[in-house]
Amino acid sequence: MIFSAFVLLLSTVACKKQLEEHAYDQLVADNFYNNKTEVLSAVLRPYTHANAWVTPSGQDGWWRPAELSADQLAWPTKGRHGEDGGKWKRLHYHTWTVDEGGLNNAWSLMYWGMGLCNDPIEQISKRDIAAMGITQEEKDSYIAELKLLRAFHYLKLMDLFGNIPVVTKVGEPAKPETMSRAEVFNFVETEIKENIDKAPKMSRGMLGRMSQAGGYAMLVELYLNAEAWTGTARWDDCIAAADKLINGEAGGQNGAMALDPNIIDQFKTTNDLSKEVIFSIAYNYTVADFEPSWPGEFYHFKQQEIYGGGRNGNDGIVVIPGVYTTYDEKDLRRSDWLLIGPMFKFTDPTQPVLASEEYNGQQLVFVDNIRKNKAGSTTSNMSEGEENSGVRFNKYKLGNQFAGPGGVPAIDPNYNNTDWNVYRLSWIYFAKAEAIMRKNGNIANQAACDLINACKSRAFAAADWETRAYTPATLTMDELLAERGREFIFEGFRRDDLIRFKKFSTGSWWDHNPTSATKELYPIPQQQRDLNSNLKQNNGY
Amino acid sequence: MHLKNLLKVFFSLILFCFANEAMAQRRAVTGTVADENNALLPGVTITNEASKVSTVSVVNGKFIIQAAANETITFSFLGYNKLSQVAGDATTLTIKLVPSPRAMNEVVVVGYGTQDRDKVTSAVDHVTTKDFRQSGARNPLDLIQGKVAGLNLTRTSGSNPNSGVAVQLRGAVTVTGSSSPLYVVDGIPYPNANILDVLQQDDIESIDVLKDGSGAAIYGTTANAGVILVTTKKGRDGAPRVDYSSYFRKEYVQRRPDFLNANEYRQRIASGDINQEDFGSSTDFYDQLINHDNLSQNHNLSVSGGTNKTTYRASINYRNLEGIAKENGREEYSMRLNLNQTALQDRLKMQFNLASNFNNANLLGGGGWESELTKNPTLSNYNADGTYRFDLTSTNEYARLFQETNRRKQQTTTASGRADLTIIDGLKASVFGSVVRDSYTDGQYKLKASEASMEDTDFPGGGYAYRGTSLFQDFAFEPTIQYDKTFAQKHAFTALIGYSYRYHIEEGHSADNRGFINDLFHEDALQEGAALGVGKANINSFKNDNTLIALFTRLNYAYDDKYLAQFILRREGSSRFGDNHKFGYFPAASLGWVISKENFMQSLSAINFLKLRLGYGVTGNSGFENNASRVTLGGGGKYLFPDGQYLETYGPNRNPNPDLKWETKRELNIGLDFTLLNNRLSGKLDLFKRTTKDLLDTYTSPQPPFIQSSIYTNVGSISSKGIELGLSYKAVKSGDFSWNTDATFSTLKNTLDSYSNDQYKVLYKTFGDIGGAGALGNAITTYEGGELGEFWGKRFAGFTADGKWLFYNRNGEKVTNDQINISKDRNLTDLAKIGNAIPKFYASWGNDFHYKNFDLRVFLRGKFDFDILNTTALSYANKTWSGNLLKSTFSKYNQINDTYQYSNYYLESGTYVKLDEVTLSYTFRLKTKWINNLRVYFTGQNLATITGYTGGDPDFVLDTGTGPGIDSRGAYPSTRTFLLGLNVGF
Repeated sequence: MIFSAFVLLLSTVACKKQLEEHAYDQLVADNFYNNKTEVLSAVLRPYTHANAWVTPSGQDGWWRPAELSADQLAWPTKGRHGEDGGKWKRLHYHTWTVDEGGLNNAWSLMYWGMGLCNDPIEQISKRDIAAMGITQEEKDSYIAELKLLRAFHYLKLMDLFGNIPVVTKVGEPAKPETMSRAEVFNFVETEIKENIDKAPKMSRGMLGRMSQAGGYAMLVELYLNAEAWTGTARWDDCIAAADKLINGEAGGQNGAMALDPNIIDQFKTTNDLSKEVIFSIAYNYTVADFEPSWPGEFYHFKQQEIYGGGRNGNDGIVVIPGVYTTYDEKDLRRSDWLLIGPMFKFTDPTQPVLASEEYNGQQLVFVDNIRKNKAGSTTSNMSEGEENSGVRFNKYKLGNQFAGPGGVPAIDPNYNNTDWNVYRLSWIYFAKAEAIMRKNGNIANQAACDLINACKSRAFAAADWETRAYTPATLTMDELLAERGREFIFEGFRRDDLIRFKKFSTGSWWDHNPTSATKELYPIPQQQRDLNSNLKQNNGY
Repeated sequence: MHLKNLLKVFFSLILFCFANEAMAQRRAVTGTVADENNALLPGVTITNEASKVSTVSVVNGKFIIQAAANETITFSFLGYNKLSQVAGDATTLTIKLVPSPRAMNEVVVVGYGTQDRDKVTSAVDHVTTKDFRQSGARNPLDLIQGKVAGLNLTRTSGSNPNSGVAVQLRGAVTVTGSSSPLYVVDGIPYPNANILDVLQQDDIESIDVLKDGSGAAIYGTTANAGVILVTTKKGRDGAPRVDYSSYFRKEYVQRRPDFLNANEYRQRIASGDINQEDFGSSTDFYDQLINHDNLSQNHNLSVSGGTNKTTYRASINYRNLEGIAKENGREEYSMRLNLNQTALQDRLKMQFNLASNFNNANLLGGGGWESELTKNPTLSNYNADGTYRFDLTSTNEYARLFQETNRRKQQTTTASGRADLTIIDGLKASVFGSVVRDSYTDGQYKLKASEASMEDTDFPGGGYAYRGTSLFQDFAFEPTIQYDKTFAQKHAFTALIGYSYRYHIEEGHSADNRGFINDLFHEDALQEGAALGVGKANINSFKNDNTLIALFTRLNYAYDDKYLAQFILRREGSSRFGDNHKFGYFPAASLGWVISKENFMQSLSAINFLKLRLGYGVTGNSGFENNASRVTLGGGGKYLFPDGQYLETYGPNRNPNPDLKWETKRELNIGLDFTLLNNRLSGKLDLFKRTTKDLLDTYTSPQPPFIQSSIYTNVGSISSKGIELGLSYKAVKSGDFSWNTDATFSTLKNTLDSYSNDQYKVLYKTFGDIGGAGALGNAITTYEGGELGEFWGKRFAGFTADGKWLFYNRNGEKVTNDQINISKDRNLTDLAKIGNAIPKFYASWGNDFHYKNFDLRVFLRGKFDFDILNTTALSYANKTWSGNLLKSTFSKYNQINDTYQYSNYYLESGTYVKLDEVTLSYTFRLKTKWINNLRVYFTGQNLATITGYTGGDPDFVLDTGTGPGIDSRGAYPSTRTFLLGLNVGF
């Protein structure tokens, strides 16, 4: 009797309710979107995520496959560092496989970011605006912004992988099917066109976010590459979209959108004040601890002594031998954007920066070659680097955290605040010029030259410029490709440029030999195909 | 039933009156107790069965007890047959105890109760004080290392006083879930080893290990990795006892990695073997971290005693453990109190236990070994002007010892109460409740002049202060009802039913700051730093909880002590489980057959006892993250809001899985317990096969449509099967000399059976990060269906003339590294299985020699037939490295002129035998009534290791879990230890 009473008692006690799970220090999806700040925090989430894949973040995102397979940058093995399972060599030599972990990671990061757009689009669409504390206008504008940003994810996914699944709802369908590159192209174009007018124009308040300006920049990119991607040229559409930006119709982040007057304002610690930036990842270390993560990719182990800051790197990505010399001696971009030669301490330029690996204890001297100089070797390839091999990145600046000698320069109060530009107006100028030339039978006209000269002239002292301005005769297609390389080095466009100029699979550079045309698309990661049997592999894999 | 009950109470009262009457005729009975060799025995419990008064024999076996002539006196002593004798008229008794043929009365702890060892039907190992290792336990598990077949205890951090022990029973049962056994200390259930902090070796009576599922099922979803039950010493009725134990211990470094010294390094530079700088100094960086003056000590004082109604035991312990490293120690005080009270005419038994440990751990030192071994030895820790030398690419570990502090002040308290009420004969209702409260405060400070402070880029030279507190609380409430009844004299039943409620909550916060104007505050005034004002200080807090609720029952049946059966069922739910699977059932059944009781066995005199056991049980694992089944939103970092502020952004950071549930282990165990050859040889043999299914792991989810790339879900299965043997042999027993020897042996095969289902496919998993420069990845690849711990990598084929690596491809051709196919597809790859990190065999061998007052123990243990990746050689016997190098760089490894590569070139056999403990003790037989017992002992631990392995101490290399066998490049030094100890009882 007692037994049965006991059992009865305990059966009722041990019920599900008592096992309800608490979340004291975590947010659970069900109790979110209760005010405008929460809504905004969801709308802005994909941007901090984009830091990981669209910038050289130290992760395998979009940027590495977009640059390290091309003719300007590489991550050679340097002594005991940088072999990394051969992944850098496979990118450089175009010998990647369907099992490439880095490519799967890129896929995963980008679709994750896309999901971070899908989720708030869905949540904001289905919820009552009063409950969320926002107006109908705000709701429409948030959704338009998120749809443009989602289109941006698909644009960059298509850039790498071509034929991809397009999904606009979280969790559905369970196994989405591959869409052909042409269909993805249409989806992206349609999404941008349908939402661009509902999205806000670019303004100071939209800094670091997708706006109408970002939308037009995406259209420029789509149409510029349309022939390469879909077989159908769209040069007029490209020019039209570019004009929207050039004419300032889509707003600007600091007054009217215009080219910056020099080659520094776009890349310095206060580049949020640049006039030409169209879409950027807006870092702020001072108040948000949100800082660029590219030092890991580019910086030497002792870089902080060189620039007087606090960040070092993995001594990773360097400029491929010979690229440095494509810059004119007087080209300010060569001296300002690249590091070469003996390194001295920022805080005391009479003191050398000492190397820490092969040249431990000796001065660090960056050289325009990749070989084991210390051993007297002349073999130059991806395997034979040393800690000082290769010319280095110095385009974006992090800002000095220590004062220079005698207090000059003073500490930069904005150190680590440097934004990363995804699109800037110079690139639109170049795109329009290229569209004009291609439309014109690959021949430049004065309008094309003016566009390029407007950008390039900033890189020369007035006295040096006269003789270097392009004329329709000097601005050949090859010259345009070379000048694009000089202007947009490190910015993530080089692979696309080579594909468009039909050099990617046929060209040779440094120790890279021609490969096959199928390499112009990366393979759909096998790991994803294992998970989703509806994904089709690209040709050639 | 109630009426009957009342009558019983009534009669008891009457009996009690009679008992008082009898007391009048008692007088003092004195005597002596001796063993079969006429050696006098102190410590024998002597009880007057009528009055229930007990006493204990003192030195020289003398006792005195009050008894009437017709009353029965019993003499009981562990290892001897209980003897009962009527007091009679004599005033002096001479008692001789006979050793029990086998420890018949030995009781093992099985969870929610105890069982007579002979009647146990599951695989339980019972280790008592006399078997414990005597080398000064840093952790109670050290006491039983090598003593339980199938229980692997590995100290990857060696003798570091602030480190724990890696524990694994019968192979890996999980990949991502909790791999910790459940610890039950005097009934208090705890999911990890932290509770062991409150236990001091002198307070422990026994440790029981529930090895198989048929026994562990009573603990349901927390029992997959086995159950370790610790029982502490309790008060006994009889004369008060005072016991004092202490030891002093000193450690010496052994097996130091063989790097060049400064002069040798200099010579290598001069000879051109290495192309490095000579900075002019000569420094033994490693040695500068060693605390050559280390001396550890432990003192334990306990008092115990009581009457037949009340017993108590109280102890205090002081322990100061000094590591072999400087600034690496742990000083602690513990108290333990046990109180037992019988009331309501002996129908109510109550027990209270309270234990607390206060420790102050110095966490600063104990690391930095790799960096110090591999620095250029011509550098110095000092600049020319006597200041500490700092550089950006290394850390001055020596200066840290003087310029930083890092301490943890911790208190762990356990309190439990238990009441057993006998309602009617055989029917007992019990209630048990416990609280475990573990809290600590951490403090760190780095001087303004310290390297970490000088090299900080936000506040260079501004110091660094950190303070963090954490509080972990565990509550358990477990009422049970047990009914014991024997029908027709031969059918013995025990039925147990119970309820269990367990709640865990943890919370804490931490904060740090920089930018101090002086070093006066340390971490005691965090607000004074400047970093807080500009957003460069950190503040964090956390809180989470989980609940387990269960109902359980156990039924034991014995027919004539010959045929035994046990059935267990537990229904348990956890707050962590997904909505679709809140509760699970965990059944078990086991059978025993005491063959030696059969008539046909009686003629076989060589077999004294023989029992066959067969058990099958299901257990679970609920040890995973909270909220793992739900969609939570995660912060993505701060971003620019339209008003110019940077605020946190949020997005989903987990894919939902409402089907998430426990991992389920099913285990079959066949065992044999035996005592042979006139009770000289005893042992147990167990064969088991266990399979854990619904393994939890993070699977790659298809993206799209999922947002996150991973989902935590139940897919795979892992299994192990093995043999365990424990033997005990009384080898010699003649006159004053005896030799007893014990041995354990185990072997195991651990397989990852599957890791895929229809939805999620994983054909292989990789484990065991090689670490070091060169991003070499994981060394171990476990394919579906393959054995755990398999090294997969390149096969070394030699070097080219200029010292570049050559490896064999799958066709057996020697090729350079760039021609090696590293695919994980076994049909394409050039990689091959090149070794296995899990020992095929484990064995230990203990010997106890006894001669007159001397005892000598020699204990050896070893692991056999496995491989270790010698990472130190991989990274530091290669001239690519710019700092110090192993001497073997220029002999064994001198051909290499290439970057780091992982291949079988660096795999070595790890097989070893260790002379783990030698203890010589002397027990004084003093003719004084003031001292009951006095023993001094001298122990040497880790005296010698016989192995072909050329890296660190192979005993420290992890052999548990899924990523074993990767040696550390910066292992805590292996030490040889000497200890002088004293036990004295008054």
